[in-house]
Amino acid sequence: MIPVQTKKKKEKMQSIEEVVQCPECGSTHLTKDYSRAELVCEDCGLVIDEDLIDHGPEWRAFDSDQREKRARVGAPMTYTIHDKGLSTVIGWKNRDSYGKSIPTRNRAQLYRLRKWQRRIRISDATERNLAFALSELDRMASGMGLPRTVRETAAMIYRKAVLKNLIRGRSIEGVAASALYAACRQCNVPRTLDEIAAASRVSRKEIGRTYRFIARELGLKLMPTSPQDYISRFCSELKLSGDVQAKAIEILKDAADKELTSGRGPTGVAAASIYIASILCGERRTQREVADVAGVTEVTIRNRYKELAERLDIDIIL
Amino acid sequence: MPEVEVENIVASTSFAEKLDLDVIAQSLEEAEYEPEQFPGLVYRLSNPKTATLLFRSGKANCTGAKNIEDVETTIKIIAEKLRKLGVEVYEKPEVVIQNIVAISDLGGELNLNEVAIALGLENVEYEPEQFPGLVYRIKEPRVAMLLFGSGKIVCTGARRIEDVSIAVDKLSDELNSLGLIHK
Repeated sequence: MIPVQTKKKKEKMQSIEEVVQCPECGSTHLTKDYSRAELVCEDCGLVIDEDLIDHGPEWRAFDSDQREKRARVGAPMTYTIHDKGLSTVIGWKNRDSYGKSIPTRNRAQLYRLRKWQRRIRISDATERNLAFALSELDRMASGMGLPRTVRETAAMIYRKAVLKNLIRGRSIEGVAASALYAACRQCNVPRTLDEIAAASRVSRKEIGRTYRFIARELGLKLMPTSPQDYISRFCSELKLSGDVQAKAIEILKDAADKELTSGRGPTGVAAASIYIASILCGERRTQREVADVAGVTEVTIRNRYKELAERLDIDIIL
Repeated sequence: MPEVEVENIVASTSFAEKLDLDVIAQSLEEAEYEPEQFPGLVYRLSNPKTATLLFRSGKANCTGAKNIEDVETTIKIIAEKLRKLGVEVYEKPEVVIQNIVAISDLGGELNLNEVAIALGLENVEYEPEQFPGLVYRIKEPRVAMLLFGSGKIVCTGARRIEDVSIAVDKLSDELNSLGLIHK
């Protein structure tokens, strides 16, 4: 019985999916007019839907104090906490629900309650491992200054790996680091293995190996990283201007057309194109400086740079 | 069809129930035996140029041969030497081929990015950051192919010589039909 019901539910879900295209002119520029509760096409002016439901809160708040008082919900669900952030914690303030401070003779009791609640949050070994892995993930992500989305993705990948029993026989830190590496790539902000290795306590080799394993087992369809994704980050680390960045991306586009990137490490190609672009734009950086930022050797830059200059007919006067 | 060249054959066999490696190491000049470092005894031959690992259990691995005859002659030579030392050796040691590594050339350059997408990202392993080649594992015959940008390929994991050419032909047909080999 149950599977049939869920199937029906799914069908219903699909039928109420949002309209993304104007049925009249086919435009995708639709706006929700909240004051009129209408869905309007911006191009032809057709009112597609009316009497929209406003999902926002029914109250208004004008400062943070009011917001805190009126909100009846907590933080959104997150995969980066082992219980998805759904459990509650006994607050650290020694106050009861009326805001009155708790008498001193009950303080010790509250302290004990807090202690046991903290201990009880983690019920068994699997959960403890998950909590450890997720805190490790968060530590690495904070160390590298990665955004929320990447952390959530990494936590999701790690959870999937746990469900498929892929952790067994591998270190928690290793799997967490490679989940983070995969998440960075999935969110199109790739970090090099060296950068992840520096933030974690795992060697680059181990991360690479574990990453390949979980990518294969979980069927993560990840495109090979392209050198373009590294350009803006490396350029800003080298304090290069936007012109250099644009030039480097242009060089990479030409290089990709001539198949100069196939089988070459993306960071090496990116570094060489930045090096060339910096010279062409008169903001020269030495091979050494570029190499340090990109995490490749000067020899790699020289080799890639020769290939690029030769095949793309770029004259470089030093 | 692309020409296939076998580079290495790994085979295993068993000479006896057990071998006394200390005795063999002392009486054979070419034997290298350092039980502190590795429990096996390494025995290198210069013709055919192979290296064989002998273990206490009487089992042995022969590596470095370029064709099956070389494996057999190697085993024969070693069995002969052991017999001369007075070690009891099976009459006809059974040889099992464990791995064949072969190289070939597709005759044109590959754009590995395109190849990875065309063959399906879930079927291949291509991490230019870690290794310049693209790893393509096929099920029938069960081998792994390493594809490089230059069009050269390495085929590993085959158990029979025929499997290598079957696999290489299959791959070359597939890539040709997808138009991925740039002459």
